[in-house]
Amino acid sequence: MNEAVVLDYRDVRKNFGSFVALNGVSIRVHKGEVVCLIGPSGSGKSTLLRCTNGLEKLDGGEISLDGVVLPRSETGMRDVRRRMGMVFQSFELFPHRTVIANVMMGPVTVLRLSRDEARQRAEVLLEKVGLSEKAESHPASLSGGQQQRVAIARALAMQPEVMLFDEPTSALDPETVGEVLNVMKRLADEGMTMVVVTHEMSFARRVANRVVLFERGAIVEEGPPAQIFDAPTVARTRDFLGHLGWHG
Amino acid sequence: MSFDWGIIWQHRAELADGVAMTVLLAVATMLIAISGGIVLALMRLSPLRPVSAASACFVEFFRNTPLILLVYWAFYVMPVAIGVEFSAFATGLAALSLNVSAYNAETFRAGIVSIRRGQSEAALALGMSRWQVMREVVLPQAVRRVLPVLASTWVSLFKDTSLVSVIGVSELAYVSLQIRSQTFRILEMLTAMAVIYWLLGYPQAKLVDWIHRRYGVSE
Repeated sequence: MNEAVVLDYRDVRKNFGSFVALNGVSIRVHKGEVVCLIGPSGSGKSTLLRCTNGLEKLDGGEISLDGVVLPRSETGMRDVRRRMGMVFQSFELFPHRTVIANVMMGPVTVLRLSRDEARQRAEVLLEKVGLSEKAESHPASLSGGQQQRVAIARALAMQPEVMLFDEPTSALDPETVGEVLNVMKRLADEGMTMVVVTHEMSFARRVANRVVLFERGAIVEEGPPAQIFDAPTVARTRDFLGHLGWHG
Repeated sequence: MSFDWGIIWQHRAELADGVAMTVLLAVATMLIAISGGIVLALMRLSPLRPVSAASACFVEFFRNTPLILLVYWAFYVMPVAIGVEFSAFATGLAALSLNVSAYNAETFRAGIVSIRRGQSEAALALGMSRWQVMREVVLPQAVRRVLPVLASTWVSLFKDTSLVSVIGVSELAYVSLQIRSQTFRILEMLTAMAVIYWLLGYPQAKLVDWIHRRYGVSE
């Protein structure tokens, strides 16, 4: 791939006490690429995502964004975070604010946009995720799928260079998973650079440019979806997919 | 034994002034103690040990001292210690504020730590500073969550304002007791005082019940 490297993970290490969460992980994510991280629970994929925007501190190695190594300091990370959007498994919408206020919050408090500008931006994004009519509702009155779509809009409102998705559909009722994945698919089609931790194998297969299989804090195998799902070169990959009921 | 209930009507103007002073004391105390409580709670949660220890000492001292002692102490000791003499009102207000701030600090602290970490993380992920996260996301939710407790504290405070009568702040209790000693109408004045406090307090208690029902449920 000739596109520029957006995220460059070099030998990333992270421990929680004596538990080794990431044991020397190196990945390059190029502009416009969708990389899906798959693997069993506790294999380190979410930790890698949380290290990316500094919610967890690295114990070794480094991560660069657009060729610049991410700072270790809290204040330095703030400037980096506004360039990355993050979507959480449990949505984490702000329950005391309306849907549109949730989407406006980043632009108003962090980017210092005027309320009018922020509102315009938020309206466009709510339209995009199909929730314009819910703008004045409170998050509690929305379904899980709707809340997650608002969370995506909230992250996009910062106009990030890269979007990080941490198991965005794992907390959803099955019938609302599709609407969230569709929004993500459209985002990918528009050329957004995305790192997605997911258990949705059909999404990974359909949308990812590259799939990375994690186990015990290390990469087992990485490659295009056709390789991972149809012709894995590592026995462990076949095992893992077999457990999920995936048979090519 | 004959009663003269007319005595209450005769002194209605003074009693009304007393009521006004009671309300003023309670409102002013609560305003100070809400800001004070938030500041103390944030200090208590600070990662800097000396800051959090200072807050803990303050809270534990003023929360565990009888309020009436605090009132006397502020009246007799503070002028000597600091060398400035305040009016009885300012002294009473200070004593009440110190006490209620300590209670509110614990209330706000409980509220803040009850907001789950994912909320701050989502706000941090947008690029907010720690302070913005607190102001925009954590505190507004925490305050809503502790509203029932604050309301209960308010009801106690409203009655506790009567304690500053001992240093001559002319609130309802002081005024009533003054009229009592001028007229020797002890039973009438004490009854009047009880009825007035009750009439003022009962709607507040009902309001608190309503707040408990309205905001008491979590999420």
